[in-house]
Amino acid sequence: MINKIQELNALEQLSGGDTYAHRLNPAAKLLATAVFIITVISFGRHALMLLVPYVFFLTLLMILSETPHLILLKRFLVALPFCFFAGISNVIFEPAPYGLISFFTILLRAYLCVMAALLLVSVTPFCEIANSMRRLRVPGVFVAVLEMTYRYISVLLGEAYSMYIAYSLRNAGKKGIRMRDMGSFAGQLLLRSFDRAERVYNAMKCRGYVLNAIPQNRQNFASKDFIFLILVCIFCLAFRLMVI
Amino acid sequence: MHMSDALISPAVGITMCAVSAAAIAYSAKKSVNEKKIPMMGVMGAFVFAAQMIDVAIPGTGSSGHITGGILLAAMIGAFPALLSMSAVLIIQCLFFGDGGLLALGCNIFNLGVVPCLIVYPLVFEPIVNKDVNPGKITLASIFAVVAGLQLGAFGVVLQTHISGVAELPFSAFAALMQSIHLIIGIAEGIVTAAILCFVYKMRPEIMEFALDRDTAKSYLSKGVIAAFTVSVLLGGFVLSQFSSENPDGLEWSIENASESIEK
Repeated sequence: MINKIQELNALEQLSGGDTYAHRLNPAAKLLATAVFIITVISFGRHALMLLVPYVFFLTLLMILSETPHLILLKRFLVALPFCFFAGISNVIFEPAPYGLISFFTILLRAYLCVMAALLLVSVTPFCEIANSMRRLRVPGVFVAVLEMTYRYISVLLGEAYSMYIAYSLRNAGKKGIRMRDMGSFAGQLLLRSFDRAERVYNAMKCRGYVLNAIPQNRQNFASKDFIFLILVCIFCLAFRLMVI
Repeated sequence: MHMSDALISPAVGITMCAVSAAAIAYSAKKSVNEKKIPMMGVMGAFVFAAQMIDVAIPGTGSSGHITGGILLAAMIGAFPALLSMSAVLIIQCLFFGDGGLLALGCNIFNLGVVPCLIVYPLVFEPIVNKDVNPGKITLASIFAVVAGLQLGAFGVVLQTHISGVAELPFSAFAALMQSIHLIIGIAEGIVTAAILCFVYKMRPEIMEFALDRDTAKSYLSKGVIAAFTVSVLLGGFVLSQFSSENPDGLEWSIENASESIEK
């Protein structure tokens, strides 16, 4: 549980960097990531070799943004199992060489898509993503909920963790929580969260919170953002159109 | 059961994103009560934390965790629950690599829209009705969670199948997913029931409040659901036909190659 909090903080710290990639407009980065992912997954099942240029492209972006590859890779490996098992079936059900090719293609697709999303948040602070969502007309209520959830995850994880420690100390260090205690355990956490939410709301009101406040320090699309977006699109399309 | 970018086609991904975006926009319109925002945010964080707590599953030696869609809906109402659940899924996708950006649409649909907007008003609310008691809560949560997970798992199977990236045979994959999620569903149903009964014992007003309010039922007539399902299926089907009409070069060449070898 503590690991999760640290993981969350690690990306947040990375996003505070100051490279060329960090200074781009968040909306441009969001759109570029979407273009990249859609291009990658539009390739056919056996397009293993055709995806290689995209690996280089992603690696280049990571180097330019000084993102440590290892941190992102670890996270990718944690999320991998489902794809792995779905992919294994291709090896079994398809004739010999194609099954293996499509299996590795699935893994490579997973790698590219997950890394692209992780790279996006490691070069963009979360509040900026939220603000650009507001500008893209995502309902204000939803963005507020998103931001609030993000802020309170570490608080509630910490709370759950200390309850968990207390529980296992009184339970001779057994792993996990017994089913019959789960109701009162999680219920207690839930009631605490409920009360906290009420105090948070009162505190926010006291400080003059307005729901649909227009985000300040608005970053406009500068020429460098357009250039970046166009470069990404050209790259993605060029290698995609080659095979059509 | 997070869907992954690697296993879906662009057509399926974009269709599901559009559907989920519409559901979020509608829910945002329905839950405008500003006072509820910190509640939704903190409850989202609660689900996140609750997913980290491992429950020992008796007799197996293994452990699992809850997903929390029905729990959220019972505590804060269907529409706010969808918003919280979506927020959790977006954060998991962005910061922990669960699923993917384009697969978010599928994930929000399977784990958010299905339990909160479809199963909760159709299964949970009718069973619990107005006069709440622990027996009803237990029955309702087990049924609702099982139904939610079954539908959600079936969504995963359908989306994977329509995308056609993984070669899993439809019936075998469906049988596997449904049976695994039946077991998970019963376990989660029991845990959900225990949590809700505890909350009801300590603070009955919270749940009664959630039941009284907004009842999605009134907006969610059977006709709306039918139209919704049909449009999703049709949209996915049409788009996938459209995209498979132009197989890309390599696939085409491999097909040809394999045919000529067979000849």
